[in-house]
Amino acid sequence: MKARLRMTLILLVTLVVHLTVLSRLRVVGVRPDALLLLAVTVGLVGGTDRGAVAGFVSGVLADLFLQSPFGLSALVYSLVGFAVGSVQSAILRSAWWIPVVTALAASTAGTVLYALVAAMVGQPEFVSPRLPVIAVLVGLMNAALAPVAVRLVSWSLRRGGPDRPYAF
Amino acid sequence: MAVYRRPARSRFTLLLLVLTSVTLLTLDYRGSGSGAISLVKDGARDGFAPIQRFSDRLMRPVGNLVGGILHYGDLERENEQLRRENAEFRGDVLRADDAERERQALLDQLDLATPQDIPRVDARVVATSPTNFAFTVEIDKGTSSGLATGMPVVTGTGLVGRVAETSQTRAVVQLLTDKKFSVGVRLATSGDFGVANGQGTLKSLSLDLIDPASPVDKDEVVVTSGLQQSQFPPGIPVGKVEQATTRPGGLQQDITIVPVVDLRRLSFVTVLQWSPG
Repeated sequence: MKARLRMTLILLVTLVVHLTVLSRLRVVGVRPDALLLLAVTVGLVGGTDRGAVAGFVSGVLADLFLQSPFGLSALVYSLVGFAVGSVQSAILRSAWWIPVVTALAASTAGTVLYALVAAMVGQPEFVSPRLPVIAVLVGLMNAALAPVAVRLVSWSLRRGGPDRPYAF
Repeated sequence: MAVYRRPARSRFTLLLLVLTSVTLLTLDYRGSGSGAISLVKDGARDGFAPIQRFSDRLMRPVGNLVGGILHYGDLERENEQLRRENAEFRGDVLRADDAERERQALLDQLDLATPQDIPRVDARVVATSPTNFAFTVEIDKGTSSGLATGMPVVTGTGLVGRVAETSQTRAVVQLLTDKKFSVGVRLATSGDFGVANGQGTLKSLSLDLIDPASPVDKDEVVVTSGLQQSQFPPGIPVGKVEQATTRPGGLQQDITIVPVVDLRRLSFVTVLQWSPG
């Protein structure tokens, strides 16, 4: 129960940080996506199940503040959380760079997937020549934030130690 | 909680979540702005407003300090340029005053409405877009101040965008550079009508439907046309022509315009309480 409480706290903190501090952090107009990063990190530390659920919840939170169709982020983020979780179970090492590289790859892929699914549900303008730039920059910025995210998520999922202790 | 999970169960969880998401998408689509989902969204936005205000108060000095240190040289240069421009504009204003008086007298005689007559609500920009796929800003006024979806948003310089979503105390403004934004415009010199479309970049809009034969000058001002059923009142400056080319055999000119308002540094905006008549 305590783990769930800590996870809720992390979700709310991430939402606040996402909507306030990170809104000011823009590189060529592109901002990091902390809620997507959360889905990635929970998938990485906690596995498929928890990755998918955390992705869904963080996606719903994201959707609350967007004008795009409601449920779009929830759908994509839960898929991303699940996918990262499945890859995680195949990784045997726990080197420091794994979360960074995972965040880079998964956030880039997640952003592209988001645009593609958006185009399928009637938002074709999301797929534009600018999409690769947005996706790569989101990936890079999320990768830079990954070490902090992994620490927070490891703490929230801890039950006599995290499933996979990434050392920084 | 068991660390090991059977894959089948995980897949079942995912399936459940995907189905829930699709249900939400369908509900949102069917409700389209009036259903339970938009009520929840409005609640979230209003509920988040105090947190945002607090964080803004906390972050602003830090941001200003960092920005000030990093961009000191730029700021000094900008200051000097602004001072020079200011002196120029003061002269222009004196000249324009006279013309405006004449114009007003003529409009009064013809009994025509001007943008100056429209009731307005001033608002502060409190947040930028939470996503990379839309160009929006959030302002600190909502339905309780008389705002409604579709109202034009301007600054003293020109057009900013339109109100895209409202809750009680907040509204989301779709900027004119957003990919979904379009506005009927008129070239100030030639008087030709066209349509300006957002490109999904902060810098420029495309201007369509201008005849290849009509003369278009660089830096020519483009204003809202305000034709009947238009979403904006007439005469609001939208942008300046940056480039105009005609392809051989083209049916229209390829024109890009740059917004007159610096959309990256919006702090105060004015919402015109206007609806198409």
